[in-house]
Amino acid sequence: MIDSLRPAGRQLLELVPDLGAGWVVLALAPLLVGAVTLLTAGRWPTAPGHTAIRAVSVGAAVVSSLGVAGTALHRPGVELPWIPSLGVWLRLGVDGLSTPLVLLTSVVGVVAVLLHLHVPPPPRPAPLEDEDVAATSPIPLVRSIDVPGLATYHACLLLVLLGALVAFLAGDAILFFVGFELVLVPMWVLVARYGDPGSDREGAAARFLMVTVVGSTLMLVGLLGVATATGTSDLARWAELRGEGIAPGTQAALAAVLLLGLALKVPVFPLHTWLPWVHATAPTAASVLLAAVLLKLGTYGIVRLVVPVVPDGFALWAPLLGGLGVTGVIWAGLACLVETDLKRLIAWSSIAHLGFVVLALAAGTETGLQAALFGNVAHGLVAALLFVVVGGLKHRWGSARLSVARAALREGTPRLGAALVLGMAASMGLPGLAGFWGEIGAVYAAWAPAADRPEGWFRLYAALAAVGGALSVAYGVRVLREVWSGDRAEPRVPDAVRTERLALRLLGALVVLLGVLPVLLLAVTAPAVEAVIGR
Amino acid sequence: MRVEVQLASTLPVLAPLVAAVLVLVLDAALPGRRVLHLGVAAVGLAGGALAALPGLRLVAGDARTAFCLPTGECLHTADRLVSALQVTALLGALVVLVLAWREWAGGDGGGGVSGGGAGGDGGRAPVVVSLLLGATGGVAAVPAAGDLGTLLVSLELATLPTVALVALTHPRWAAERRARSVEGAVALLATSLVSFGLLAMGAALWVAATGTALLGAPTAREPVLLLLASVFVLAGLAFKISAVPFHAWTPITYTTAPLPVTAYLATVSKVAALGALVVLVRALGSVDDTTLLAVALLAALSMTVGNLVALVQTDTVRLLAWSTVAQAGWVLLPLASLSSRAASAAGSYLLVYVVATLLAFVVVLVVAQGGAGTSLEGQRGMLRARPLLALPLGLALLTLAGLPPAVAGLVAKVVALRPVVGDGTWWLAVVAAVNVAIGIAVYLRWFATLLSAPSTTGPGGTDAAGEARAGEEARHTPVAWWVLVAALTTLLVLGSVAPVGII
Repeated sequence: MIDSLRPAGRQLLELVPDLGAGWVVLALAPLLVGAVTLLTAGRWPTAPGHTAIRAVSVGAAVVSSLGVAGTALHRPGVELPWIPSLGVWLRLGVDGLSTPLVLLTSVVGVVAVLLHLHVPPPPRPAPLEDEDVAATSPIPLVRSIDVPGLATYHACLLLVLLGALVAFLAGDAILFFVGFELVLVPMWVLVARYGDPGSDREGAAARFLMVTVVGSTLMLVGLLGVATATGTSDLARWAELRGEGIAPGTQAALAAVLLLGLALKVPVFPLHTWLPWVHATAPTAASVLLAAVLLKLGTYGIVRLVVPVVPDGFALWAPLLGGLGVTGVIWAGLACLVETDLKRLIAWSSIAHLGFVVLALAAGTETGLQAALFGNVAHGLVAALLFVVVGGLKHRWGSARLSVARAALREGTPRLGAALVLGMAASMGLPGLAGFWGEIGAVYAAWAPAADRPEGWFRLYAALAAVGGALSVAYGVRVLREVWSGDRAEPRVPDAVRTERLALRLLGALVVLLGVLPVLLLAVTAPAVEAVIGR
Repeated sequence: MRVEVQLASTLPVLAPLVAAVLVLVLDAALPGRRVLHLGVAAVGLAGGALAALPGLRLVAGDARTAFCLPTGECLHTADRLVSALQVTALLGALVVLVLAWREWAGGDGGGGVSGGGAGGDGGRAPVVVSLLLGATGGVAAVPAAGDLGTLLVSLELATLPTVALVALTHPRWAAERRARSVEGAVALLATSLVSFGLLAMGAALWVAATGTALLGAPTAREPVLLLLASVFVLAGLAFKISAVPFHAWTPITYTTAPLPVTAYLATVSKVAALGALVVLVRALGSVDDTTLLAVALLAALSMTVGNLVALVQTDTVRLLAWSTVAQAGWVLLPLASLSSRAASAAGSYLLVYVVATLLAFVVVLVVAQGGAGTSLEGQRGMLRARPLLALPLGLALLTLAGLPPAVAGLVAKVVALRPVVGDGTWWLAVVAAVNVAIGIAVYLRWFATLLSAPSTTGPGGTDAAGEARAGEEARHTPVAWWVLVAALTTLLVLGSVAPVGII
């Protein structure tokens, strides 16, 4: 039946007009215009209300996602000279590697701007004996309200999306770097100004910024090194050259600098310490974007800037990288078993999932790269889903501590509960859901690594990664036991509101779809993967 | 010996100097006409900048020359990079002149930086104006110098008048404040004397090593002596550019001088120092490894120490002073490589730095003139209270930090790092990378102050009073200052949309 549907689908797609470069403009321009509009509007004497702000913001994200869809379908390319004296071109376009990620970015972007912003008031010092007694606390508001600085908040979300899209679309190393850096200031504002006032939000924001900037500048050093060695900053040309003409010693140094910079962003164990803290503080939408989009910049950077560009240097460091990846899987899995803050727990599970992705990359085979790209997208969707749920719960509960007795989700808020079950199941890597294919592929790839990798080590990594998979089941069950099951009904909290339901349904449907039909994604990435690994 | 003189190509240098003489003559003929003096000065600076503009069109390898000897060497050589430095210096000086206009014209009844500028001794304006013009003429001459004599004389012409500018304070200032600015002037004077001593020593060794005072392609008869000479000259110039460990005068002088003069020292004077370095680097051609290592150490130390100390400052002017030290390291960074475009890279970085620093100084001056002082705390919540000032300041800070949306600053960092990475000097590249992060912490600390909620215990009292005060300030801020803010902001925005890269 699917075969008979295919021609119909193809005919339907042919109805979409080919606007050429217009699609790329449509993908980026609404975000920029929306952000500038909101930034100026926020300075008017009579600031616009929340309805108008949200309409502008959601409108910009939706129009942009249409542009992204068109770009992914027709794959137009933009080439304009930008900085002639440095030989930098404004090259924007997609290929098999970036198509899934730009689509993921725009879906998650729409979800992030849909969510309501609630900045809780600064905590009052409560009498000691009344602490944690939440049974009589008022039922929190989850509708959209006029929060001070709402326009700036939405402008920052749009700017983060813009930067991520520029980085994913970039066909030039310097342009990729510009996009990579563009997300920093808005993300810093989101955490420092709209984060949880009960925690040290300015410290968390500063830590995020410092770590990322050190990483990105190291990456810049590596990029400039490759650019001087090859004489161009065109990424397509870099991939064609496959490291020709770069001495082995230089390749090793360049790969080390690039991997170190990107590992801070991914983050790879032991450079991961900033992530749980930032996630625990950031507002829900910022957490969603951070987990689902910004961390992907790191793994995408490894695939785009290291694996094909300095293959010999990467091969040298791959065993170490794989080892660190699998250590991250185990370490984060153990941390999840004892973590007492639900949001931090999800952040730790992100580190574990990205450990699988890094391990798959290090294996150096086509299967490994496929698994890594698939795991990337799957983690983006699952983490976005979980952060929507957990962020919503944190707002309703007032904190995300697991030690406090709450109403069981199964009883009180069945919709949020169902989404949490789906998300945790996908996170455990159950077959039929998106998380499965990335993890099983990573273990398989590590078991049969490329010819020039030390097989014994990688087989050990594969075994350890399988143990990490078991750990993810254990902590998943722990979360469900603590917050989902049970029959406690107090204190009552409201269930998912309309925007949350919309976001959760969208993400949940995609998680199931990719779990059932992984070929949808694998078919898109396959040709690009052959080109990257091709030898 | 016949010397071929081509005055047209020396106009960028001559115009401010002629204007300086004219101001002094005018003062003798028509005393007390201060606005006229200032007008002449502005015309001189703008005319010099206009005369340097055609130089920007030159292709690589071409130059506008003057005072050429029969042997073909020229004592004044202006190629594209030199012309760009001259335009920067002259326009920067023009910005400073506009900033100081009201104080120096003194007598419109409005408050000067320290309040009350009416009256004063009318004899002072022509002096300060001609000092400014003289120094600027020197700055414009330095990068074009073709021999050691011209280099030394023009460097001193660029430096000594600034000592007097620091010392000649506002007549209404309190005795204690004036004493402090004399202290700053003395620090500057002592520094420039020491650096001149080192430079003269270096020049003497240079002549001894090469047998000529001409800088074009020296044939080293004594390589070791030439190396020693270049190290001495480098140390002398490091004082001027305030690189660590020759930076001690910078914070003292910057905080005690009148604000427009500080802006001058932080921007236009730096052009002179960098111009001299460019001349030196070009003359040495393929530089010795030891000199390269010395430059690399200066660069690494400057940016690290400058950034770390700037991180704890609580006063905006002091913070900018230490940021100058750190940025001097960035300007030096490309010069620590063998790349043929190292000089152009340093010049390009300097250009972006000058625009951003001038913009920051203009905004600091506007705020200080409104009575809020120069403390960092005084600017808390400015983005909400005075967005038209805070946004340009934020842009300038992001440019200095090198973060988008200020792509101009980011591209400048790329330009400065490229030659170093190309050479494979990995340790220096990693030091620079770490310093990008510390630098961002410095500037974002300021940026966060602008962004945060206004302090409730401020001197403004209630919101209404604060707004009234802001409105009053807005009326007192001269239109010309707003024009400066707008023009410099436009430059940065243009540089971010279509970056120039390397000159």
